[in-house]
Amino acid sequence: MATTRHSQAMFFQARAGEKVRDKVLQRALQKAKPLFSGKRGQAMVALADDGMDFETLRTACEEIRNRVLNDLDVWLALFEERAKANGAEVLWARDGDDICDLVIDVARRHGVSKVAKSKSMLSEEAHLNDALSAAGIRPVETDLGEYIIQLAGETPSHIIAPAVHKTIEQIEELFAKEHGRPIEQRTSEDIPAMTREARAVLREHFLTADMGISGANFLIAETGTASLVTNEGNGRMVTTLPKVHVVITGIEKVVPTLEDFATLMRMLPRSATGQTISNYVSLLTGTKRPGDSDGPEKTVFILVDNGRASLLGSAYQDMLRCIRCSACMNHCPVYFSLGGHAYGWVYPGPMGSVLTPLYTGIANALDLPHASTGCNQCGSVCPVKIPLPKLMHRLREDQNEMGLRPWSERLGLKAWAWVAGKPRLYRWLVRRAIGYLHWLADDKGRIQVLGMAPGWTVGRDLVAPQGKSFHEQYAARKRASK
Amino acid sequence: MRVALYVTCLVDLMRPSVGFASLRLLEAAGCEVIVPEGQTCCGQPAWSSGNRPLAIDLAKKAIGELEGYDYVVIPSGSCAEHVRNVYPQILADDPEWGARASALAARCHELTSFLADVAKLAEMPAEFAGSVTYHDSCKGLRGLGIKRQPRELLLKVRGLKLQEMRECEECCGFGGAFSVKYGEVSTRIVDRKCDAIASAGADAVVGGDLGCLMNIEGRLRRRGDETTRVLHVAEVLAGEEES
Repeated sequence: MATTRHSQAMFFQARAGEKVRDKVLQRALQKAKPLFSGKRGQAMVALADDGMDFETLRTACEEIRNRVLNDLDVWLALFEERAKANGAEVLWARDGDDICDLVIDVARRHGVSKVAKSKSMLSEEAHLNDALSAAGIRPVETDLGEYIIQLAGETPSHIIAPAVHKTIEQIEELFAKEHGRPIEQRTSEDIPAMTREARAVLREHFLTADMGISGANFLIAETGTASLVTNEGNGRMVTTLPKVHVVITGIEKVVPTLEDFATLMRMLPRSATGQTISNYVSLLTGTKRPGDSDGPEKTVFILVDNGRASLLGSAYQDMLRCIRCSACMNHCPVYFSLGGHAYGWVYPGPMGSVLTPLYTGIANALDLPHASTGCNQCGSVCPVKIPLPKLMHRLREDQNEMGLRPWSERLGLKAWAWVAGKPRLYRWLVRRAIGYLHWLADDKGRIQVLGMAPGWTVGRDLVAPQGKSFHEQYAARKRASK
Repeated sequence: MRVALYVTCLVDLMRPSVGFASLRLLEAAGCEVIVPEGQTCCGQPAWSSGNRPLAIDLAKKAIGELEGYDYVVIPSGSCAEHVRNVYPQILADDPEWGARASALAARCHELTSFLADVAKLAEMPAEFAGSVTYHDSCKGLRGLGIKRQPRELLLKVRGLKLQEMRECEECCGFGGAFSVKYGEVSTRIVDRKCDAIASAGADAVVGGDLGCLMNIEGRLRRRGDETTRVLHVAEVLAGEEES
């Protein structure tokens, strides 16, 4: 698979350590965490106050997504037919390389030298910006976060807040350097000024780009429409100003009707940013018609598989319900300890821990399904009821069945389970273990370094056992009372 | 009613007082308590590692030991969740064992939910002079819906003041093998929990799962907090044992 070579997920363990120790990153994450979960929480309270029930609504959203996935070919065919009837071209991409080839081909056909991009995670899957640059076409990211990331030469660390790992000081430094001005001391009150600065730069690009590339939050089959949910307005510029508009999105993003779209939209912004609705919701149907004041002359849809079809009918089909709201990572204790880059591929957090192994190979992302405490904070906020911990667990099972777990772990578990099946031997070993732990403990009864589980004592003491085991004491009491 | 007490492997090894406290509470609720011999571990570590065959072996062993009682009570949300939710699931394909697993699951309860909702224990045998803050462990909270029960019982302890911490439903970072495999990440998570505990300013942090409590206590002590007590809810509800 073409994407595999870009994945760094096999370095999770080492990167996680680096990220935990990165004080600047930790400061940025600490600041962002309450914003995300707090705003979503408030939105859900308000939802209940408005007489809507979260569970009922997310069950409805789950059903819409399941209805699509159970007949995905049918809904895609309908979408293609309606989109073509509106004058759009519909292309199909098998993988990331296909995406790049198709986009470059469209660009060449229309003499494009500069592309203005609205946020698209699919283009991250394809590493489209690199391919465009190599083909002599300049890609300009116009989402503020993506713009920052592009200037910094990095990848997004969050699916809707790509620069969440950066502090205001880092961004100021970057803007000063890239916009050719001296560095200023910035506070959060200066954020509007910094945004205006980026806006002035980006405005020029919107007006001079020959092609706009966007993703789509949903494709609406009955009307052949792409919907775009944004807050900055850049999406509108990208999709209406340049003469060519290319929409790149996954084949699973289709929904049957506008009515279904409206239902999903009750959940998407609330789950993502805690907004009842995002600042902009665009429904883009076809090309500019005679008499229209704006719109592209050419609309191209690139509908991407890149591993998605292989999940249909599998134990992982539920994952395709994902509407990319980011609630799972926003409520993940692991994500907020590391940020997104530690996960090593396009998608971080719980949804990434499921998607990365499935899209880039189970053997290439062995840590990710284990990098979860199993707390199920993700599963309980998911607006389409994806059982994320169950899917991560299923991947752990697959690793075992494929013989991908380390021999030491397999042997250790086997020996432990064998002993646990023999109570007398087990009691004897527990007695030995208690003795050993007491021998290791200091005079406060704490163990500072535990050789057999160094991960525990890296940041914690182990408080030594109280004394004799429960079962030993209980047996003695029973004997005494007889 | 005849109640089987399954103390869990961690309580057996690390903190037997939780087992004896559970025993006293069940007796105070009028139960005839039996501690089935031969109990070791419910098999959750095998299951979390993704090793289904080993998890099934240990599930069958536990089912054999725990059948035939009116109720089975476990002083741990995560072990009770494993018996209630996972046993029926992993044995679903086996008609005989599947039925036995479901029958056991229906009789199996986490300690505080059993005391509050089934046995309806009205008076706590204990007194507690001081304030406590309650940490909701994930599997009990999100797997079994345990939230109200421990608080309801704690508030019946004479002298006890409940002082909620912020984000009491946030994971402490334990996660079983996770805490050892990804020790630094786990430490980062429990650090946030310790911050929340510190700002609640209670005399003790209380929870229903020994794994989480070992994690929290270990980090508090490493951070130099020698005063905040870390207690299992059973220990608080039952009070000190008279010797």
